[in-house]
Amino acid sequence: MVRGHLTLTPAVESYHGRTLAIVEPVTMENLRAGNGRGGGKALIAVDELGAATGQMVAFTEGREASNPFWPTPVPVDAYLALIVDMADVKP
Amino acid sequence: MFLARIEGTVVATAKHPTLDGCRFLIARRLEADGTAAVEPNVVMDWMGAAHGETVLISTDGDIARLKLGNNTPARMVVVGLVDAVQQSAQVGSAA
Repeated sequence: MVRGHLTLTPAVESYHGRTLAIVEPVTMENLRAGNGRGGGKALIAVDELGAATGQMVAFTEGREASNPFWPTPVPVDAYLALIVDMADVKP
Repeated sequence: MFLARIEGTVVATAKHPTLDGCRFLIARRLEADGTAAVEPNVVMDWMGAAHGETVLISTDGDIARLKLGNNTPARMVVVGLVDAVQQSAQVGSAA
């Protein structure tokens, strides 16, 4: 779940003009309940999709998070890859 | 790599352009004793994994980079569907 956004001044050059989202991973229990809660440990991810606060997203962590900027090396370790329209978790 | 159980599907209109047309599933990592992780993962699937099926997930994005290009943020990919798991009876079965 996107919980908010943050701005950096100053920031390293590769972050200039980037949107950073505060994301909270959703536990299976909360996903099934569809209660809009997360329950995981929040982290910061680069957002190029324009996700709004309260939307559910999927993010990539690790080396793959900087792939969208390839071949430029950037210090990004989390990246919003999807804005979730629907998560179908019927038992 | 780890074993996971498929527990759902994800529909996403807004996504990284390299991910257009890909299939996204909700998977829960399985521990050796068969318990499932509290937090699920969204994984990519080209193998047609079904709901409830146990699969092997690779967390290396190289297979996705080969298919989708060097700019793709894809990481977790279903690399196989599990037929059987054999392990010591002491820790039970993950399948």
